[in-house]
Amino acid sequence: MSFVSAGALLWMIPLAGIIVALYLLKMRRKDLKVPATFLWPSMVYEIRANALFQKLKFSWLLVLQLLALAAIVFALARPQVRTKGLGGELTVIVLDTSASMSAREGGQTRFEMGRKIAQDIVSSVKMGDRLAIIEAGPTPKIVSPLSEDPAKMQRALNDLNPTDAENDVGEALRLASSIVSQYSGARIVLISDGVFSDIRDFSPGKAQLVFQRVGKSDKNVAIAAFGAGSTSEGTQLFFSLKNYGSLPSLGTLRLFADGEIFNALKVEVPAKGTYGKSVPIPTGAKVLRAELEAEDDLKSDNFAVALSDPDAQLRVLLVSQGDIFLERALSLDPRVILDRAQSLPETETRTQTSYDIIIFDGVPAQEVAARGVICFGSAGAGSPVRRTGTASKPAYQGSEGNHPVMRSVDLRDTYIDKGEKVEPTARGTVVATSDAGPLIVVASQPKRSIYVSFKPMDSDFPLQVAFPIFIANAIDYLIPRGSSGETFVVEAGKPFSIPAVEADQKLTVTTEKGDKTEIAPAGGSYVVRSMEQIGRYTLEVGGKKTTAYAILRSDLKSNIKPQDRVLIGQNAVAAESTTLRLSDFYKPLLLLALLVLAGEWWLFMRRS
Amino acid sequence: MSSLADLPTFVLESREFRVLEGLHIAPRRTFTGRVRGERLTKRKGISIEFADYRDYTDGDDLRHLDWNVFARLETPVIKTYQDEEDLAVHVLVDCSASMDFGQVHKLRAAVRMGSALAYLGLCGQDAVYPRALGISESPMPALRGRSAFPRFAKWAQSLEPAGQAPLSKTLKDFAGTSARPGVAIVISDALDPEVFSAIRVLGGRGHEVWMIQVLSDEELDPDIEGDLRLLDAEAGSPVEITANSYALEAYKKNLKAHCDQLEQEALRVGGRYALFNSAGSLEDFVKMTLKRHGWVAS
Repeated sequence: MSFVSAGALLWMIPLAGIIVALYLLKMRRKDLKVPATFLWPSMVYEIRANALFQKLKFSWLLVLQLLALAAIVFALARPQVRTKGLGGELTVIVLDTSASMSAREGGQTRFEMGRKIAQDIVSSVKMGDRLAIIEAGPTPKIVSPLSEDPAKMQRALNDLNPTDAENDVGEALRLASSIVSQYSGARIVLISDGVFSDIRDFSPGKAQLVFQRVGKSDKNVAIAAFGAGSTSEGTQLFFSLKNYGSLPSLGTLRLFADGEIFNALKVEVPAKGTYGKSVPIPTGAKVLRAELEAEDDLKSDNFAVALSDPDAQLRVLLVSQGDIFLERALSLDPRVILDRAQSLPETETRTQTSYDIIIFDGVPAQEVAARGVICFGSAGAGSPVRRTGTASKPAYQGSEGNHPVMRSVDLRDTYIDKGEKVEPTARGTVVATSDAGPLIVVASQPKRSIYVSFKPMDSDFPLQVAFPIFIANAIDYLIPRGSSGETFVVEAGKPFSIPAVEADQKLTVTTEKGDKTEIAPAGGSYVVRSMEQIGRYTLEVGGKKTTAYAILRSDLKSNIKPQDRVLIGQNAVAAESTTLRLSDFYKPLLLLALLVLAGEWWLFMRRS
Repeated sequence: MSSLADLPTFVLESREFRVLEGLHIAPRRTFTGRVRGERLTKRKGISIEFADYRDYTDGDDLRHLDWNVFARLETPVIKTYQDEEDLAVHVLVDCSASMDFGQVHKLRAAVRMGSALAYLGLCGQDAVYPRALGISESPMPALRGRSAFPRFAKWAQSLEPAGQAPLSKTLKDFAGTSARPGVAIVISDALDPEVFSAIRVLGGRGHEVWMIQVLSDEELDPDIEGDLRLLDAEAGSPVEITANSYALEAYKKNLKAHCDQLEQEALRVGGRYALFNSAGSLEDFVKMTLKRHGWVAS
């Protein structure tokens, strides 16, 4: 047994002393003359006192009062005992629904195992226990707020499904912590296979974090890489398979071009090894798909889709000291594969590049070989402007609304704290101006580039609806959508945006099974978050259809070996080997104290 | 607390006199009297109650010769008759301090009870000996006849609950006197743990002990509460109590046991016992107890 507030036990000494001292007081009795005293029993119950002092006598009232005091003091000390069960009086269950939880072992998935554990916790709640359930999916969400209604919680658990996406367990834990971190004795139960990144900035507060691991197997082979590239031998399809398990794996890889199978290979991937190969693709093929049949536990990463159009996916490098708004806006574009750097890598030169677009955010622009450049507040070599000074609080004056970069972008309410004062070069075209000069300048020669005279973080532009629209316009301007414009590939669960043409039209997302989800436009675009399962989706708005493929391409999630210890906050948290919980039993003690006091009152009334 | 001086001149009311009229004391035993009275005794004497025959001897009154027997048997036979003598009725009223209690004063009730029984004795031509227990006074001579009742009443009205001696001692003192054996009517609360031995002594002296225990409502069903120190009205030691249900229950149990033993002791010496609530009706007590149980007869 342990005590949450052991210091409260010290109250026993002075309080018991006070009660005993009260019993040392003597009764000054009222004299009453009677005919004879021999008939009267000498029954003395000193329940009141009005004089000092007497020898302490045994009294049941004293015993009962000390017993009640002991029960109350012990209750205040919050005694706890270990009992079977994961939950506590105040528990938040964080259930991992990421792709690795879809791994199937022994006839059921890890998610089903985890849900069973969660259901057991819910079933074992006692009266007064409160539970909340958080889904640790791509977007953590509270599926059942703190409540004492087990039926509601069971329904919420039954409605949960695993995803084929990466997740953010850290954010889910922080959400749980925000609910219970201020309560001593609260418990956050993370039910997961431990397949997630280390979580650095997390503190459970006063709550206790328990990691309940599910799963055992590490048997998984994944399509680690899949894409098309131009070679001297024509357009080739390259793929790479990776075996994360400790045993070699045999399988069959089927390759499809625009839905038609064109190749099938028997593959053997050594334990912890890889297998890669390039094969030619049929001429004119646009959508390439691979399906791997192998004896592994996770099927989500045995599916891959790539587009033959090189512009279907854009590798973007953000050179910045850190701008979360810019990163999020870029991530919303389904074509963008974003990398980050604080300075331009040496591998990026005038003649050599690994990126389609490089964005300089407050870092002086340099001449690079990338196909497009965006520069925010730091004109440099290759910029379509010359820097002439600095501008303080430049006020927006107007823009070239017909230019593709400025379409649907309204800067009238944008506050800019500071920026650069520039003048455009001969190849630069001013598309937005302020009272300090050009605000946004674009150039199409020798390559397409965009210059913005201020850093987003020096303004409230990132908070405006126009910001993600501007970023989407800029990327489309720098590298226009090619032949595969009506088809794109995204990572499952990753939100992305599609520009909305009509404000009152909803986007319909239809799965291969025919399930439909409608999304209303917000801020001039549709933000799609519902593609959490791998497969083909149809996006339709205003009669125009777009095909999207959701895939799982995650080295983290494909390595499904469950972790015994996970790094959360500053500590490595070990998986619970026993399902024990610390149970408070202060409530029974308080009830006992109440009963004892009731008995003491009854005795007092009988004797007085 | 009311003084007996406040009592009306006549301790009995007229309706109570009417109830008592025609009744006389009916002891279980017969006692030898001193003077002629209206009560048959074992002694042979002159009355209308035939007792026996005996042979004639010289000097016998020829008026009692049974001439019919003499004619048939030619043997003179004398008829004897039971003698009628008076009965000694000792009215012993407890005047100890413990009688000074009760919303309806116990001593007042005792005096009224004693007066009623004395009236019966006087009307029955018995020798009524009033005696106050617990206070020192000169013994009154025997009172006889209805006309002596005012003297008795005057004596009764003079009684004060001032005695400190326990009842057992005063009863034993009485038993130690040369009082004529008769009916000893003890009217007392009998709240003395030693009273039983006194009753035995009294019975042993030839008295028929009539124990009339007078208790007040406050004694029969005390209504007290709180933490008290009980002071004995006489010589008992103080007792500290917490007057609660337990204590009251124990008191009632003790009182009942005391009264039961008192009754047993009275019956054991051939006497009688009755409990009289000081707040009760004397008239009812005479009708329901004394008459019904044969204490008095018509």
